[in-house]
Amino acid sequence: LTSSVSCSLFIQETVNKILHLHFRDDKTKISSDALLLMAEMLKVFVREAAARGARQAQAEDLDRVDIEHVEKVLPQLLLDF
Amino acid sequence: MEPEGEPERERLLHTQRLKAAVHYTVGCLSQEVAEDKEIQFSKQSIAAISEITFRQCENFAKDLEMFARHGKRTIINTEDVKLLARRSNSLLRYITQKSEELALNNLEQKERKKKKSSAAKGRTTSDEQMEAGIAESEDSNMA
Repeated sequence: LTSSVSCSLFIQETVNKILHLHFRDDKTKISSDALLLMAEMLKVFVREAAARGARQAQAEDLDRVDIEHVEKVLPQLLLDF
Repeated sequence: MEPEGEPERERLLHTQRLKAAVHYTVGCLSQEVAEDKEIQFSKQSIAAISEITFRQCENFAKDLEMFARHGKRTIINTEDVKLLARRSNSLLRYITQKSEELALNNLEQKERKKKKSSAAKGRTTSDEQMEAGIAESEDSNMA
């Protein structure tokens, strides 16, 4: 999979393939607009995860986000998405 | 069921490649947040976010498929994605806004195409016109 110009976005073809891994019906497809929105949605999800992890680390007076910070914010993150 | 071996191995490799792609993008996005918030991310924390994201995709995919099926469709559309974003108000607002931007963009592109082909006859804006056009097309094939 080659990267695009800007690395900070999900490549639509990648998103399409990942979604297709989990569709139960082979006939299920996704429109190009919907795919674009999904790429956008995943970007928001990752940014939220990272930002909340950062906030958690900073609340503990640390300048480095570690796995435990991500773990702590995970339940609420999953409730929000 | 599928036989074990080659196909199974290939499927696993395919999944690994997709996971690697997600990991790469998560790394980039985390870097942006890191600069914003003046903080660092450990490699493990980025790996964890990648894994969570990849697994969340499974939920997303299954929900989307169900939404489309509920609407008696096999193609997932933007309305289905909006339903997916229903749990958080700000997320729903964001996705709805993006969706409207997309729709507007598409409309503009269609307008442009229309203008380009305005000389051509039989432009259709609806299915009825399309059907009407078929009847005439025998005559205008040469145009």
